[in-house]
Amino acid sequence: MLVPMTKVHVIGHRRQLQATLEALHRSSSIHLIDVTEDASVTLPPLSADDDQLQQIEDLRYLKARIDGLLALSDDLPSPVVPAPELGDLRTEIDEIAPRIEELAYELTRLETELETLPRHVRSLERLVPLLPELTQLEGYDTDAVILDARHAATLGELNVALNELLAGNFEIISGQVDTDTVGAVIVTPKSAKTDIQSLLGRQQVNRVRLPHRYESVPFRDAITMMKRRLTELPIEITSLRERISDEIRRHPGWITASVSLAERLEQLTALRHLGATSHTFVVSGWVPTPQLAKIAGIVADVGTGEVIVETAPISPDERPPVLMSNRSLARPFEPLVSLLSAPQYGSLDPTTLMMIFLPLFFGMMLGDVVYGLLLGGIALYVRRRTRDSSPAVSEFSKVFLLAAIWTVIWGVVFGEVLGDLGHRLFDLEPIWINREEALQPLLIFSIAVGAAHVTLGVALGIWTAGRMRDRKKLGTSIGTLLALVGLMSIVGVAVDRLPDGLMTPAVAVVVVGTVLLIAMEGPIGLLTGPLELMGLTGNVLSYLRIAAIGIASVYLARVANELGSLGPLWLGVIIAGLFHALNLALGVFSPTIQALRLHYVEFFGKFYEGEGVPFEPFGPLQRKE
Amino acid sequence: MEVGLLAVGAGLAIGLAAIATGYAQARIGSAGIGALAEKPELTGRVILLLALPETLVILGFAVAAMIILLLGG
Repeated sequence: MLVPMTKVHVIGHRRQLQATLEALHRSSSIHLIDVTEDASVTLPPLSADDDQLQQIEDLRYLKARIDGLLALSDDLPSPVVPAPELGDLRTEIDEIAPRIEELAYELTRLETELETLPRHVRSLERLVPLLPELTQLEGYDTDAVILDARHAATLGELNVALNELLAGNFEIISGQVDTDTVGAVIVTPKSAKTDIQSLLGRQQVNRVRLPHRYESVPFRDAITMMKRRLTELPIEITSLRERISDEIRRHPGWITASVSLAERLEQLTALRHLGATSHTFVVSGWVPTPQLAKIAGIVADVGTGEVIVETAPISPDERPPVLMSNRSLARPFEPLVSLLSAPQYGSLDPTTLMMIFLPLFFGMMLGDVVYGLLLGGIALYVRRRTRDSSPAVSEFSKVFLLAAIWTVIWGVVFGEVLGDLGHRLFDLEPIWINREEALQPLLIFSIAVGAAHVTLGVALGIWTAGRMRDRKKLGTSIGTLLALVGLMSIVGVAVDRLPDGLMTPAVAVVVVGTVLLIAMEGPIGLLTGPLELMGLTGNVLSYLRIAAIGIASVYLARVANELGSLGPLWLGVIIAGLFHALNLALGVFSPTIQALRLHYVEFFGKFYEGEGVPFEPFGPLQRKE
Repeated sequence: MEVGLLAVGAGLAIGLAAIATGYAQARIGSAGIGALAEKPELTGRVILLLALPETLVILGFAVAAMIILLLGG
């Protein structure tokens, strides 16, 4: 259900502003409205003065600095220590941060070295076979270049240019280093170093540039040195990381400080939503009606009669925020509903319906006792493992737990245990139908489920339209319901499930429904009315996917069993196990997506009013999560 | 021979519908991912749009089933 909202104004004396904001922030139960968007507030918006803007900037800078330091350590202690005073914190950060930042800079340098050195080693190792002994001659420099094999002609141009410059007093040794690359070593007099460098810069070649410390070392020695350095680097990096973590662990108060700074910043930035004069302030916002008394109590505690809460009038164009509140079993389905968009305030919250139908459809599609038990086991395991580390994931695992229960139930109905393995080994028979053989009843069943689900959607559409006093939508929904019931009756008569005498009333109901659809839409209804009717048929037929996915799952399981029975027993068990694991993975993914789609498109399309504004309480960040 | 032709017909009914669905989903999927990169809050809408063309393959499945059940005896 959607929690009813009340619009309130918290009005008080300016000297109580800070205390009121802190109390409201702690309570985390008011969704602030900007006073410029609230016609019932006559006070001008509170304009932040230069001091406040400066304070916000200072706090943001301090928080960014602390967060930057904390991010350097991946092993943070639990924040049990109170945060230091703001002044002390600033001094502490100014004193200690440069030291840690220096270490972090050194760490980045070492990590970069670890990343780039192997590249240099590779380049040099490719060039070394080209090196003659004369390369280390006194008074001569050695430059190494690498170029794409397609541009090997550049070497010829380089040769001509060097000849012009040095009159033959140089040497170029080149060769293929791999299929795509040509390497060359150029030996030139040291006296012509500047000219050579500018010449190489002009030519389209990649000079092999070594880190400074290896520049004056012969290539072969450089390779050895680099390889040795590569073994030393990981040790140095680990020890440096440990030093940084140690430094940060010595200041556990920073974690608390980061949280309290975030809260303080939230309170300061909330100021711009308020209205104020020189003596009074007003906070406008939405409060969940059940929490109204709590807010009144909190505000009463702030100042002795200097701050009050009053209920404010709601203008027709205002849209209250939406807060869903469902029983614990349905709660994990709330994010699935909101995934589309939050429901509009005052409309129907379909979470409970989704809790009923989504796992049911999932079970109808997968329908296998062992798959259901395995899925349930995995869901329980995930639930237990993530209970502390990630409560949202733990909560969401309930969706799959419910789906697993329905999978087992439908598995019993269809007599499926790892596909047809139960039938093969234990002669297990289905309670209702064998999905492999009874295609027709399965298809009819899927369509019947679709008709019932879509009819429920349309009926809810009528209820919602009536509640929101939307006459056009009400007429359209009634027309759709009549057309749907009529169409189903016609199909029933056609397949001899209903008496022939119903044909005429059924056709009449379809006609009345279509006329109502057309009438509600005006002239364009002549086009959209029949289209709506076709869409409705498509909606119901769409539920055939329940049968289609189910049959695909059965046949995949059968393939696994067939393949498993081909070889020796041990090999068969492994092969069948692998195929069943694959089928289970597909069998979890596909029915989830398809069941969601049936809800979003076929079911919600008939009644759901989305585009709601989610309720975002003004409060500490961690409590919002 | 007749059974073979029916099987080919049923296969074509679902196969061609699947190709059409795949084509539509490829176009929607690439556009959807582009939209998600800009606005992650559109995830629900993108899934919905991506799932829409699947009706085609379901209708193909319905036709294939009808061919087998009604004509195949």
